Amino acid sequence: MENAIQPLIQVQSVVKQYTRDTQVLTVLDGLSLSIDAGDFVALMGPSGSGKTTLLNLIAGIDRPTSGRVLVGPDEVSAMSEGALAKWRSRNIGFIFQLYNLVPVLTAYENVELPLLLTNLSKAARRKQVELALSVVNLTDRTDHYPRQLSGGQEQRVAIARAIATDPKLLVADEPTGDLDARSGEEILILLERLNDEFKKTILIVTHDPKAAACAHRLVHLDKGVLKEDVRGAGKTVGIAAAATVSAGK
Amino acid sequence: MRFLPLVLKNVFRKKTRSILTIGSILLPLFVICIMGTLLATLDSDPSGGKGMFRLTVRHSISITNWLPEAYLPKLRQMPGVKEVTIMNWFGGKYVDSSAKNFFARFAIDPESFLRVFDEATVVEGSAADWMGDRSGLLVGKVLMTKYGWRLGQQITLMGDIYPGNYTFTIRAVFKGADESGVYFDRRVHEEALPRVKGYVGMYWIKTDSVAAVERLPKQIDAMFENSPFPTKTETEKEFQNSWVSMLGNVKLLITSIATIIVLVILLIAANTMAMSARERVTEIAVLRTLGFGKPTILGLVLGESVLLSLFGGLLGLGLFVLSFPGFRAWMLNSPMGAFATGMRIFPGILALGFFITVLVGLLSGLVPAIRSAGRSIPDGLRQVG
Ligand SMILES: Nc1ncnc2c1ncn2[C@@H]1O[C@H](COP(=O)(O)OP(=O)(O)O)[C@@H](O)[C@H]1O
Ligand SMILES: [Mg+2]
Repeated sequence: MENAIQPLIQVQSVVKQYTRDTQVLTVLDGLSLSIDAGDFVALMGPSGSGKTTLLNLIAGIDRPTSGRVLVGPDEVSAMSEGALAKWRSRNIGFIFQLYNLVPVLTAYENVELPLLLTNLSKAARRKQVELALSVVNLTDRTDHYPRQLSGGQEQRVAIARAIATDPKLLVADEPTGDLDARSGEEILILLERLNDEFKKTILIVTHDPKAAACAHRLVHLDKGVLKEDVRGAGKTVGIAAAATVSAGK
Repeated sequence: MRFLPLVLKNVFRKKTRSILTIGSILLPLFVICIMGTLLATLDSDPSGGKGMFRLTVRHSISITNWLPEAYLPKLRQMPGVKEVTIMNWFGGKYVDSSAKNFFARFAIDPESFLRVFDEATVVEGSAADWMGDRSGLLVGKVLMTKYGWRLGQQITLMGDIYPGNYTFTIRAVFKGADESGVYFDRRVHEEALPRVKGYVGMYWIKTDSVAAVERLPKQIDAMFENSPFPTKTETEKEFQNSWVSMLGNVKLLITSIATIIVLVILLIAANTMAMSARERVTEIAVLRTLGFGKPTILGLVLGESVLLSLFGGLLGLGLFVLSFPGFRAWMLNSPMGAFATGMRIFPGILALGFFITVLVGLLSGLVPAIRSAGRSIPDGLRQVG
């Protein structure tokens, strides 16, 4: 691999602890990790191993107990809460397992939500929303409410919402975890395309071997430490790694 | 402003609940407007400021004790006194003694009456007709409308405090002063019942200045202090309020009830907002993940509660304004007619209603808003199902 690529994400000796009564629970234990710009990384590991916690730290919705998290030039772990909110709206697209669309808003309005925080005019917002919805191939569902959409469609709207502000980094926490195989595949194809065509850096938490197969790099977490880190291009590595994961269980 | 559609949609997220909450703000606010109007009417001056210059003189013991007519020239001589008139409460009944046929009937001195109550203007017939006919009756416009009486019609009043029936002819109709009463020449009463001759229930004085209003009560009461008929002199306002306070402490009662109502709607609205925010813990965490800052979240939740409250409050105020003419008409025709002449839509009451509405909105949303904005995002996202 060339060293010329500047890492987009740098996680440096991050410790995350929760204190309940007198018990200290160490979720991440001095974890270091760097992710290159344009990479597609799958974060794997057993339930409770700290995947979501790590994702949250990188996405700037949580803070480490110690250590630093940098995304691009920004030290996420040192920003004030207000600055972080602004930073997230510009730099991060978040995709959830349960889609988390606002039920009283139409597909269009859901995608428009993050744009309401920008200075864009109504017309400019419209352009962005329409573009995002066309990327996820849902231009014909603009005025549908989430309850009128299938799970796969809802997740595609959620992806459109995540890319509406054109952030460089997309983070997804088990995005196919609640979908049937077919819809899950559609979502993965979409994420691959976003990585390929739109050069988004993607970090995805998953248990799904198919999802892992799409990634260019697999990071395996166990009890708050990095267990395996498999790099490589293409699906072969992914499948091989996924097999290791399943075998390890 | 760009968040308004979202806030609006959130207000009506649970339609039934929102409508019930709006109803539970609407109706109490309507009641508060009515109570406030009654209170404001008590505090207002139906004579439009002219009552400021009037005083009443009555026996210091009670309104049912008489004063001698001989006080009249003494009062007239006092500096600051423009005019003095005599009013005796006749009582009696019209048709029957039911509450719906209750109105004020006074035996008065016609010559000076209209000079003391100079805000009264004769709108039908004439003052001269009334004064020229000893059995003529001066009737307030409200009462004319209530009974559908016509000028020239004969009205019989049956005595209760004083025996005998008296028949009068309506000679003049006035507007402006207490329109829910009838007034006739006290000489009619004296001729029919010689024992009342020379006695006076109340003197009404028109003064020439505010200074006189302040000075005269003490002077008058001092003048008659050691006589067999000591007096109690009050401003018109004090006199009216002393009637009202005879009904018990109405103001305190109304104010207490209104306060309790406000607290109840506050609790109902707060409950709705708390439920609404609790159901949306995850959603709010998602919005914050997208980059919505704490102030924005605070604004969204408070905006929602204020908007919900405004829907109820403005509908309540609207209902009040629309129903006011009917309410006033009903009051005018009731035994409280005299009181109702001063009733109108007080802008201050509408402003108070609006203020209460906004306050309820802000207070009910405050705790849920602070909680929503304060919860950590990962905790909010974890709280699924
Ligand atoms: N707010 C919290 N307080 C206490 N413990 C927590 C909290 N959030 C997460 N944890 C714990 O941290 C561990 C890692 O959680 P998480 O990152 O969600 O794991 P994963 O996503 O890999 O399943 C779990 O044991 C979980 O119970
Ligand atoms: Mg997780």
